[in-house]
Amino acid sequence: MQFSPSHYLGAGLLYSMNIERKRRIEGFIALMLSSFAALAGLFWLVFILGDVIIHGIGALNLNLFLHDPAPAGVAGGGLRHAFVGQLMITIFATLIGVPVGVLGGTFLAEYARRTGFARVISVLADIIVSVPSIVVGTFIYALLVRPLGHFSGWAGAVALSIIMIPVVLRTTEDMLSMVPWTLREAAFALGAPYYKVIVQIVYRGAATGILTGILLSIARVAGETAPLLFTSFNNNFFSWDMNRPIASLTVTIFQYAMGPYEDWHQQAWAAAFIVTLFILALTLLGRFILKWRFKQ
Amino acid sequence: MTAEIEIEVKNLDFYYSGDVMALQDISLPIYSHRVTALIGPSGCGKTTLLRCFNRMHDLYPHHRYDGQILFQGKDILQKDVDLINLRSRIGMVFQKPTPFPMSIAENIAYGLRLKGITNRGELIGRIEQALKHAALWNEVRDKLNASAYELSGGQQQRLVIARALAVEPEVLLFDEPTSALDPLSTAKIEELVVTLKKEISIIIVTHNMQQAARVSDMTGFLYLGELIEYGSTEKIFTNPDKKQTDDYITGRFG
Repeated sequence: MQFSPSHYLGAGLLYSMNIERKRRIEGFIALMLSSFAALAGLFWLVFILGDVIIHGIGALNLNLFLHDPAPAGVAGGGLRHAFVGQLMITIFATLIGVPVGVLGGTFLAEYARRTGFARVISVLADIIVSVPSIVVGTFIYALLVRPLGHFSGWAGAVALSIIMIPVVLRTTEDMLSMVPWTLREAAFALGAPYYKVIVQIVYRGAATGILTGILLSIARVAGETAPLLFTSFNNNFFSWDMNRPIASLTVTIFQYAMGPYEDWHQQAWAAAFIVTLFILALTLLGRFILKWRFKQ
Repeated sequence: MTAEIEIEVKNLDFYYSGDVMALQDISLPIYSHRVTALIGPSGCGKTTLLRCFNRMHDLYPHHRYDGQILFQGKDILQKDVDLINLRSRIGMVFQKPTPFPMSIAENIAYGLRLKGITNRGELIGRIEQALKHAALWNEVRDKLNASAYELSGGQQQRLVIARALAVEPEVLLFDEPTSALDPLSTAKIEELVVTLKKEISIIIVTHNMQQAARVSDMTGFLYLGELIEYGSTEKIFTNPDKKQTDDYITGRFG
């Protein structure tokens, strides 16, 4: 039997059909596996969110916001103390964390641009972002709670701010780096000193990005429980005093959910719902701002 | 034609990052109320030379100037020169339009505020004046508060020129100002450059030899960091002394 070119061609065709079929099967398997993984993830997400919404909405009532807790085991009462405490801790954490983060990011992106030092700090910040938050809690416990001899709202705010700082710092650094260098040169060429170039030109160019980073970092810490357990602890009474232990929604959820009373469970659901809603709102706002910015 | 010397470059050497020599023994006069074009192939040092006039290189580490640049008789390469003041007297327009992320009016007010002008009435007057100066007023008069990014590339470039003019510089440096623009916008900018020389001295770096021929009075040809030839534009383009210049302008290399 002689081999003609058509033999080779035929073999080639057969070969390529096999390859095609193999690829189709492989593609199908990959699609199935990834779809299944996505569905599995989505299922629990929807389950958790749905559970929080169903139980949370059912447990919502005005007393929750207007009253402090009733004595244990007595029906009624609210979580006013925890809302206020949570708000105070979050606000002060933001007031500490945002300036430090923004200024630190500015230093890295502007004054220390392209230096080894800046790169090391960036990498360290990325690592700190993924450190378990309970580690931060124990760190502040050792730093502020033990030396002072008591838990305090301040310690909670500082713990949360430490979680915020690397997030804000890295976002700021990235956003500032995205502002074209020629824009800075143009401002220098007009006779502007560097600090004015940064504050008036570069910040403006990066404002929406930085704002988004700040919102997302607030969303990130608003749901933290572990660092607060070691720092602001908890308080069953209404208090403005940041020098004393202060209540927070997340720790209250933890305490009430573990507690023996059905009333507590209900309030924990409501609190969980509100925390979730707050974080969702911040995240959406952040995304909306980012989208609006890049449409421009 | 005799004209006053605005800037005199004397035996200028320039080094990037310590020991990379970018300019070697450059000497030339820049006449006031004239347009001086710097031409040459990529990497010849024309932009490097331009950026010496407002000490833009000082933004980056490890640079070194040797020699002198006398601006109205004073050496601007001295260490104690106030760069903020220098840059408000010698303005610069870049290759790509660089509007700031703010409104059209704010863009121009920016330079004025740096100069300490904060009176609202004066700002408004100077903004209008600068925009008219840069032949942009008629196109933007109704949208002064709109973002500068809404303008076309050519309009942005004229806005940037208006911004530079607003602070009333004595010299304006143009670094390939039309290389990112369409022919129509280019023509407008060129026209503007020619008009502006009544009031200020202009140095323009360009890749486009027709442009140099159209707008400039004096031309310097640079090659590999050296000034090969400098003279009136007419002479450089019709009867240059050096063969290298002739080869470049007739398109034999570069």
